[in-house]
Amino acid sequence: MANAFVAAFEILSFGAIIVLIVLGLGIIASMMGIFNFAQGEFVLLGAYITYLAYAKGLPIWAGMVAAPFVVGALGFVLEALIIRRFYAAPIVAMLGTYALGLIIRESVRGLIGGFYLTVPEPIGGSIDIGAMHISAWRFTIIVITLLVMAGCYLLLSRTNFGLRMRATLENPSLARASGISTPLMYGATFAFGSALAGLAGALIVPVFSLYADLGLRFLIQGFVAVMVGGVGSFIGPVAGAGVIGTLSAALPWVMAPVVADVLVFVLAIVFIKFRPQGLIAGKGV
Amino acid sequence: MPKAMGVVNQAVPAEIGGEQNVVMVEHGSAERAGSGRKILPIVEGVVLVAALLAPLVLQDYLTVFATRVIILALFALSFDLVWGYAGIMSFGQALFFGSAGYGVALLARDLDITNIFLVLPAGTIIGLTFALLLGGFLLLGRHPSSVIFVSLGTLTGSYAADRLARGWYYLGGQNGIPSIAPMTLGGYEFTEGPAFYYLVLGILVVVYLLCRFLVRSQFGLALAGLRENEQRIAFFGYKAQHLKAIIFAIGGAVAGMAGSLYAFHEGFVWPNMVGVVVSTQVVLYVLFGGSGTLIGAVIGAVIVEGVSFWLSDNYRDIWPIILGLLLLLVILFRPLGLISFVLGERERVGSFGAEPGDTNKEKRNAAP
Repeated sequence: MANAFVAAFEILSFGAIIVLIVLGLGIIASMMGIFNFAQGEFVLLGAYITYLAYAKGLPIWAGMVAAPFVVGALGFVLEALIIRRFYAAPIVAMLGTYALGLIIRESVRGLIGGFYLTVPEPIGGSIDIGAMHISAWRFTIIVITLLVMAGCYLLLSRTNFGLRMRATLENPSLARASGISTPLMYGATFAFGSALAGLAGALIVPVFSLYADLGLRFLIQGFVAVMVGGVGSFIGPVAGAGVIGTLSAALPWVMAPVVADVLVFVLAIVFIKFRPQGLIAGKGV
Repeated sequence: MPKAMGVVNQAVPAEIGGEQNVVMVEHGSAERAGSGRKILPIVEGVVLVAALLAPLVLQDYLTVFATRVIILALFALSFDLVWGYAGIMSFGQALFFGSAGYGVALLARDLDITNIFLVLPAGTIIGLTFALLLGGFLLLGRHPSSVIFVSLGTLTGSYAADRLARGWYYLGGQNGIPSIAPMTLGGYEFTEGPAFYYLVLGILVVVYLLCRFLVRSQFGLALAGLRENEQRIAFFGYKAQHLKAIIFAIGGAVAGMAGSLYAFHEGFVWPNMVGVVVSTQVVLYVLFGGSGTLIGAVIGAVIVEGVSFWLSDNYRDIWPIILGLLLLLVILFRPLGLISFVLGERERVGSFGAEPGDTNKEKRNAAP
């Protein structure tokens, strides 16, 4: 019983991390049609900012709060300078964002060297339920992920801003005709997606420690999750991330980790092949 | 990529510089290229002569490095066929390169087969088979696959293969398969050096000429049409997906041949060889050099590898950053690659069939 509970917690916790990372990726991919290869590096930047705050002696949570804003601002600038030129050509966008990611990743590698730098958990210790102990920080991540998910959903579905965003992304010319500044909305969407990546990086760095390839580790999983969930809505990628995260965390409990690792990808690709529209097709939020 | 040996010598930069000079000299004629002057054969000739003379002027360890570059150029050629000519974004080209490398390494380790006439075809067939399987799965089917799906599918395939190679004890895990026996021809052993260099150069030239014939044939014309407007080609009655799968398989075969040469030249294979790192590296070569021209892929591989070799001693840390910046600049401002400085659009697209000059010259848009 206790073992099963711990396993379930591990699976849930990893699933939450993948969802957190895919949120930003999914918003950018769904709403803008761009598969952002630099997303992993935005995660890395968020982690790096948190580490910087810690290294400078500031409280860790200060770095975690700052990370999404800094990365979001960077995303806004990059969108205006570079990403904007890629909207017409999705493949060129992949290559361009890959180049951007390469620049960011190698710059960070230059700054931190080839080390694994650890950042302590702002909420340490464990939560004890009877004889079982679960990490307090991982539990916090699950809670924050749920809050962020709900927040994003409400932002997109209930606010005026979300309505404008969806309008722009669904039919740019009509949106322009209705008086919405589409370049601003694209910039805001990209910044929002980057900020979510920054937040994800900040939250996961105590779990995975900081190293230059931190973002790369999740990038492909993230892409697969977005495709499985279905591009074109907010819910789709989140659902995909839930499935992929759960599978990647659950399968190693029942088979050899190597096989599980590869099997997740194979299953995902086969699924996408036969259901290109993804788990959740259609419009909506 | 294993970093090449120590000391920096001026010879390689000088050679690269030489090619860049050609670029500079010919720059002014880019406009005239449209008026019937042939630049492409000149560029190809210069590159071939430079490649033929290289071992005579290079020191031994640089010849070894040059051999590696030639093999990578062969690999770049395979990606260029797939992306530059058929518009299939294969982010997992290393899957075929690396799996062939692993295949011949296993042949040499477990079965003691190192005969060049057995291992090279074996590597090629391994690449071909994997490409047929993956390409067939990704490209064929009732509904045409989206270009995003194909690129992410190949990327995922390469990533999954990397993870598999890392975790599979039989394949050596993280360490790969070290100390592969040298390739043999009768009693002769191909070890690093001029002989190996001329062997791979000869193979590159033959494959290059075959590819050149292929892309200038009617098949190549259909591919070019496919790249520009897949739907229209389908309406003309071509089986667009089949054409794509065929060129994808050919690309895989060439990558497989390059991979088996690479494995024997380096003497070891390791998981990165099938992974995302090498997959993206080949994309860099072709984008730099210029996709859609075969020679562009070769030049791109030579320049990227040459400059990185030259810089890696003094500027090892910032070189990848510079590479990223350059790549971004090329994508933004020179989507057709460095070759477009010398090669006019008209000549790049080229002519198909017998009558050069009056066939339909397609004007290609900004997409590389």
